Amino acid sequence: MSFDIALIIESVPKMLVGVGITLQLLFLSTLFGTLLAIVTLLMRIGPFRWLRWPAIAYIYFFRGTPMLVQIFVIYYGLAQFEFVRDSFLWPALRVPFWCAIIAFSLNVGAYTAEILRGAVQGVEKGLLEAGSALGLTARQRFIHITTPIAVRLSLPAYGNEIISLMKSTALASTITIFDTMGVARTIMAQTFKPYEVFISAAIIYLVIVWFIQMGIALAERRFGRYMKR
Amino acid sequence: MIVVGWLDEFMWGSLVVLQIFFLALIMAVTWGLLGAAAKLSSNRAAKLTATVFTTIFRGTPELLVLLIIYFGSAITLTSIAQFFDPEVKFVDIPPLWAGSFAVSLIIGAYATETFRGAFQGVDPGTVEAARSLGISSTKTFFYVRLPQMWRLALPGFGNHMLSLVKDTALVSVIGLEEILFTADIATSVTIQPFTMYMVAALIYLGFTTVIMYGVRLMEKRANRHLEGGR
Amino acid sequence: MAQTEQDPIIRLKNVDKFFGDFQALKKVNLEVFKGQKVVVCGPSGSGKSTMIRCINRLESHDGGRILVNGIELNDSLRNIDAVRSEVGMVFQQFNLFPHLTAVGNLMLAPRLVRKKSKAEAREIAMRYLERVHIPEQADKYPVQLSGGQQQRVAIARALCMNPEIMLFDEPTSALDPEMIHEVLDVMVELANEGMTMICVTHEMGFARSVADLTVFMDAGEIVEAKPPQEFFENPEHERTRLFLSQILSH
Ligand SMILES: Nc1ncnc2c1ncn2[C@@H]1O[C@H](COP(=O)(O)OP(=O)(O)OP(=O)(O)O)[C@@H](O)[C@H]1O
Ligand SMILES: [Mg+2]
Repeated sequence: MSFDIALIIESVPKMLVGVGITLQLLFLSTLFGTLLAIVTLLMRIGPFRWLRWPAIAYIYFFRGTPMLVQIFVIYYGLAQFEFVRDSFLWPALRVPFWCAIIAFSLNVGAYTAEILRGAVQGVEKGLLEAGSALGLTARQRFIHITTPIAVRLSLPAYGNEIISLMKSTALASTITIFDTMGVARTIMAQTFKPYEVFISAAIIYLVIVWFIQMGIALAERRFGRYMKR
Repeated sequence: MIVVGWLDEFMWGSLVVLQIFFLALIMAVTWGLLGAAAKLSSNRAAKLTATVFTTIFRGTPELLVLLIIYFGSAITLTSIAQFFDPEVKFVDIPPLWAGSFAVSLIIGAYATETFRGAFQGVDPGTVEAARSLGISSTKTFFYVRLPQMWRLALPGFGNHMLSLVKDTALVSVIGLEEILFTADIATSVTIQPFTMYMVAALIYLGFTTVIMYGVRLMEKRANRHLEGGR
Repeated sequence: MAQTEQDPIIRLKNVDKFFGDFQALKKVNLEVFKGQKVVVCGPSGSGKSTMIRCINRLESHDGGRILVNGIELNDSLRNIDAVRSEVGMVFQQFNLFPHLTAVGNLMLAPRLVRKKSKAEAREIAMRYLERVHIPEQADKYPVQLSGGQQQRVAIARALCMNPEIMLFDEPTSALDPEMIHEVLDVMVELANEGMTMICVTHEMGFARSVADLTVFMDAGEIVEAKPPQEFFENPEHERTRLFLSQILSH
């Protein structure tokens, strides 16, 4: 057994093609997931009781089950139903890429909704009282006081969530998507050199994580100018 | 219902998940305590090692860690075995152990940070008070620091346990016959993928619910002394 | 080294203490005899806490010698534990163990250090809780107690080890005015029973009525050490006078 440097040099460019897919998965799922989280949050903390329960059930299910199982339910599972196969969504639901996006978005949505709820509850009561004393309506208080402060409060946890999503995108390789991980597994199957192939992939992932961390740190500084350290 | 016929298989799968869970939990706590001790020590090399450990295992996909550990160890073991006996084709660590070990490294990396934070969160005044009473430093650790750390570490550690139980699903990828693997087999026989994967999901939901309530109970116990505070 | 009645129970000889380059104690000399009550005062940062923390080696000194009850404080672990079980300490921030009840706080050291049984430890603990007048609070946790009650639990916790010497580091500074006297009362009672005490405090009423010796520190030095009568009426040094005029004026 020897360490095959040539293989690393050969396979890293191939994996970089996969990085494109990884980043697409990451970006689209973050976008859709965050939108979903905001809707869920409003349902969860809004005034309508009948909207609260679906939000709670959704969060509970997606936070309580493994992502891999969720991916399989969506990608393999939905095809079990006639009406799904007949629906207009079928062209998307049979494509692994979109199934992965759906699974990831639903997952991010559930986690982020809870992060945002924590942040909203973390806003000091005194500030809201001050807002009422100034005559702001509940809606104005939510938009002008709660939201900006909660955004800042949620940033660290939200950042961790994005990193966690980035790592989870590797699961897409289990439904035949050739993201970074998928490419790595293909090369591995051809060469059976796990160290060279997987360590190269790990380094690629670590670099991406590093970039995300830099981005979050920047955002924290940008949104946190008024906060004392 | 077609599921009923598969219930015993799912039960065996669940037992495997529990096995991985407890094996990995014990190892993860060990790595976490060692990691935290290393990060808090004044030894430069220990600190650096712990930082490399947490950076790698918190920054690489769980699946990748699992595959490196499993196939890496397999290829190493195989080449060692072939050195002694060229006839050997393939030797691996049993997937149960490789899987538990891989998952424990990931969770251990997170636990390192949690334990470190909890250690630092303990009011140093209480430690001084114990020392000033002549209580030895080892006993101070066990009777004064640890009980307080426990309370601080619980919420984070509860989340790690949830991640841990969910990460066991990955081990199906290296062929261990746990819940998800059972669902795969059941699907290929019954052609009812939604039903079977949902069963798997619900079993996991059961596990996470139990852990969540367990942790909540423990937190309540750990926070007893804060009730009715002024 | 044999201990005789005439020897001081605490002796600091030319003690130096550095934090990095900063010298917190400069050639400090102090002798305290058995049964004496010493009050230490001085401006913030003058080294009062540092000095008494050196006496039970929560800080280690860098120069000079410290002897407590005839035992030299050095790096010997046995000496440190011997000294610590003779010397009780009470902190400004109480430092009660938050995860233990009041009585649990008192029982911990007797059980771990003195190897008492649970029942014995509890009996001792209750005795001392009665001495500080709060036996009814025994089963409450620290957060459920007022500041004054917490500090009395802390005093009782130290007393449980039956110390020869008690050190107090600003025991009343974290308390609301109405709670200060309940802690001071306990300290006066203790003084009247003949306990050897070193007490960092700015409660000058306490110093006048209880102290045998009043020590003024500034910039890491002991500037003046006298019986309280002389100390208040006839301070020798300009720095002492300045300090006294500041704290006595309010
Ligand atoms: N652990 C430490 N590291 C560095 N410097 C320290 C440390 N502890 C104390 N000092 C410094 O030593 C000096 C004396 O501190 P000390 O706490 O003894 O003062 P003090 O007289 O008790 O003041 P106060 O009335 O505010 O409690 C101060 O200048 C302080 O900044
Ligand atoms: Mg002080």
